[in-house]
Amino acid sequence: MTAVAEPRARPQPSALTRLRGWFRNPWGKPRALKVVTWLYILWSIVPVLIAVQFSFNATRSRTVWDGFSDRWYWGDPVDSVWHDPALSNALAQSFKLAIADVLIAVPIGVLLALGLARWRGRGSGTANFIMLFPLVTPEIVMGVSLLLVFSHVFTFIETGTTAQILGHVTFSISFVVVIVRARLFSIGRQYEEAAADLGATPFRALTRVLLPLLMPAIIASAAVVFAISADDFVISQWLSSGGPTDTVPVQIYAATRAAPLPSVNAIATIMMVSTLLIVTAGFLTWRLLTRGERRAGKAAEDMGAFNLN
Amino acid sequence: MYRRWLWPASALPGVLWLVLLFVVPFYAVLAVALGTVDPILFQPVPTWNPLEWNVGWLNEVFTRLAPGGIWFDVGVRTIVYVVIALALCLLIGYPVAYYTARHAGRWKGLILILIIMPLWISYMMRMLAWVNLLQEDGWVNEVLMFTQVLSEPQDWLGGRDLTVILALVYGYIPFLILPLFAALDRIDRSHLEAARDLGASPWSAFRRVTLPLSKTGILGGAVLITLPMFGDYYTPNIVSGAPSTSMIGNQIDLYFHGGPQPTIGAALTIVLAAFLTILMLYYMRTIHRAQREAGTVGAL
Amino acid sequence: MTHHPKERPNSLSRRGFLLRSAGAAAAVSGAGPLLAACGSTTSESNGAGGEGPGGLPLARPDKRVTLPRWEDPIESGLEPETGGTFTVFNYPAYFYRKLLNEFGDKYGVEVQVTPFDNINSGLQRLASGGVEPDVMEITPDTLDIGVAGELIKPLNLDYIPNLQKNIWPQLVDPFYDGESRYTVPYTCYATGIAWRTDKVTEDIAGMDQPWDIFWESQAYKGKVGLLSENRETIGMALLRKGITDINTEDPELVNQAVSDLQELYEICNVKVDDLQYQTIPEGSSWLHQAWSGDMIAGYIYYLPKGTPASALGFWRAPHGKVPVQNDCFAVCSTTKKPVLSHLFLNYLLDNGVAYENFVDFNGYQPPLNEIDPAALVREGVVPEHLENSVLTDDDLGPDSLQYGTLTSEGQQLWQDGYSNFLAGGGS
Repeated sequence: MTAVAEPRARPQPSALTRLRGWFRNPWGKPRALKVVTWLYILWSIVPVLIAVQFSFNATRSRTVWDGFSDRWYWGDPVDSVWHDPALSNALAQSFKLAIADVLIAVPIGVLLALGLARWRGRGSGTANFIMLFPLVTPEIVMGVSLLLVFSHVFTFIETGTTAQILGHVTFSISFVVVIVRARLFSIGRQYEEAAADLGATPFRALTRVLLPLLMPAIIASAAVVFAISADDFVISQWLSSGGPTDTVPVQIYAATRAAPLPSVNAIATIMMVSTLLIVTAGFLTWRLLTRGERRAGKAAEDMGAFNLN
Repeated sequence: MYRRWLWPASALPGVLWLVLLFVVPFYAVLAVALGTVDPILFQPVPTWNPLEWNVGWLNEVFTRLAPGGIWFDVGVRTIVYVVIALALCLLIGYPVAYYTARHAGRWKGLILILIIMPLWISYMMRMLAWVNLLQEDGWVNEVLMFTQVLSEPQDWLGGRDLTVILALVYGYIPFLILPLFAALDRIDRSHLEAARDLGASPWSAFRRVTLPLSKTGILGGAVLITLPMFGDYYTPNIVSGAPSTSMIGNQIDLYFHGGPQPTIGAALTIVLAAFLTILMLYYMRTIHRAQREAGTVGAL
Repeated sequence: MTHHPKERPNSLSRRGFLLRSAGAAAAVSGAGPLLAACGSTTSESNGAGGEGPGGLPLARPDKRVTLPRWEDPIESGLEPETGGTFTVFNYPAYFYRKLLNEFGDKYGVEVQVTPFDNINSGLQRLASGGVEPDVMEITPDTLDIGVAGELIKPLNLDYIPNLQKNIWPQLVDPFYDGESRYTVPYTCYATGIAWRTDKVTEDIAGMDQPWDIFWESQAYKGKVGLLSENRETIGMALLRKGITDINTEDPELVNQAVSDLQELYEICNVKVDDLQYQTIPEGSSWLHQAWSGDMIAGYIYYLPKGTPASALGFWRAPHGKVPVQNDCFAVCSTTKKPVLSHLFLNYLLDNGVAYENFVDFNGYQPPLNEIDPAALVREGVVPEHLENSVLTDDDLGPDSLQYGTLTSEGQQLWQDGYSNFLAGGGS
């Protein structure tokens, strides 16, 4: 909050006075808050932009800008993302895990959400309860438990890609359920019932009515699952068998502790841009499909909020 | 209109998945933590039958965490880091969420997108960005020296509490702001107006209406970032690497990746999970209360 | 020398696992065969006191262990198998691909590398049948598991003449594998101190007790690091106090060493990592415990332009006072090409092959008679002032210091001491 106390050109009331003014008029223009908010946004985004900038640095420095170059992407014959197998493998592994995660977690999650929302029988409460836990369990606890289950129970599963995919799907399912279930509640049952009244078979009501209505949530959850899988560090690290099964975050972590070259910034940039593109595409699709259902500004909130509900 | 078995059947794959890969694994941690160790192979031998559980390892962990134990300091340090980081997150995050929800006006959409964006940028990328800035010849020192705040460059990455705490704040704050925003955005203006009409001062309107009504958001966001912070081991490793700034997660990491006795690591994991469950239960109880209180305010 | 110099530092320290592998006996699934095997082994023990993984005796430089052969080696004079694939089970990027291809071309096989993260998980995968490699890398302190688990085959040295011919005598019949029944050596290294000569002013090599430098490093606070290995850190603190039994299981000694290490929080806010081969040349670390090859790798791969080689310093204690280690290769029992596997072991001990692998790719020193520190300096492979980074035959042998496998209690003692150190003390 001290940031707001900086002196301005013309005489300003003290921060305290302004703060008091803000309390007196909660609907007025709270300049201090505005400053804090924009400073926060700068603080949260500018460092990342600088990291992106240095991925294009012409020299190996991460602190001194020496001109633009693509050497860390493909120009450098040894250390570029393109030529360094450790980096290109990590990129491939990250995409592999994220895509497999989407393909497995989304269908399972959608079915689970449907089941949980509509199933009112014995066991549904427990299932609902279990579903919530992966959302709040710290990753290290999940990492430990998966590592132990693969080394003591499901011993036929080696650490490596398969174990990593199983782990990613496990923490992703609940996100899909939360997103899809929110959508299920908001569309209600009347459309299906109307379809049934008009003579549709249950199967047709499901596939022709409910599924299209769920599509925005399915697309959105696919984007979210891709993003959280690409972002994941702990599970990928604990279940990695080293070498080619290290993902981008694992490589960034390892390099950051030592003396990272700008090629690490480059691989991080590639991953970030991919994720942002996919999330944006998911967001736009969501908006397109829910056009007319809500006021426009709301969609952005949904997009951000739906993985946290 | 649907067959009765359809919905349970639909839920089945997901439930089965979570049972096999979430419930069973957690039980495996219990079985290892409460199991035994092969005396010759030094390999943990899980005990699956709860009646035969051996609490020796758990006791060992508690002894180490108790005052005078070898983990007491690291436990205290972890709590101190998390509490300070949480306080800073709230101090920064609440005004931002408040402004966005109430005053952003036509900028609301843009601000929201900018606030949400860090959520989609990987944690490691954001840490990498700061490690570069915090180098001795990095931008942080340059800016601070240019503005005369510092007279000589500081070794920010030389194992400082401050760096680790700020890194935690930077890493986790986006996850706090969003639920805060959601809670503040839900507050109906009419509550506040009613309060003012009834003669409440602005401060008391904030304290008696806005704050209680955003309590669920504060608590929800706090839980959302507190639980993972307690399990963090990578942030201190990245921005410090010194034992003097290590957290309890580093000990779990050590016992699994750094040598023998995963049993101790498993027992510590159980203790950590139990501690976090208590926090979680406290949160849920408070949420219930807050919702009741909010109901009272709503009826004002 | 945790990582191959060209390899990105891995989150899990490879070398760490080599050292700790003792404990990771834990990783091998199925105690049955190990326990069954250990019955036949005790007669060969010289009684190092206590038992290691699989109940086998603990080998020490001055306590040789000759491992029992669980089957007869292959007969002499067989023709090598040809065709198909030949699988090397190893750390990723730990062998020059070009040399593997040349071996494959010579015998008409396709050589592939199946990587493992560390030796113990590798042994576990081997035991579970998940992989069927022909040869693998192994370390002296994981050897017990390989033998007791019948995962590696006894050798017929008739096929491996290069062992006698090219390798240091100390490693031809090494203490951990008497008569070289199962293994041939691959690389070796010692532990010492690396520093930036342009930042650290003390004459470390000239100090009475160079290890003291860490306890006198107030001026370099934040730039001082130790290896993240329980054996190396605690072992160093023992050596500093003149205790040369670096395999001690005396709690008093170990705990004293730990509290000595804890003084380093105040003195220099010591860090713990295995990244010195990058951070010292790069300048983000000035003083670090290090393995002997680190500064060679740092010189070849990580020294930024504009920083002279003379900025890198390395010290290690003279022979008999310096901890040393070596890696090995063995033939896996899953091999369908046992003769060719023997020839591969012979191939990697070839002077030309081993030298090229070392100098052009690996940076890990093979224990070749032919390698002469002075010659390496002459050829410019190693800067003159880093000549002591190169080991010689004298450095190993019965009076050398080596971190050996500990008993179960010993491992716990060391690990818990290290945990205490890593916990970071009062805040």
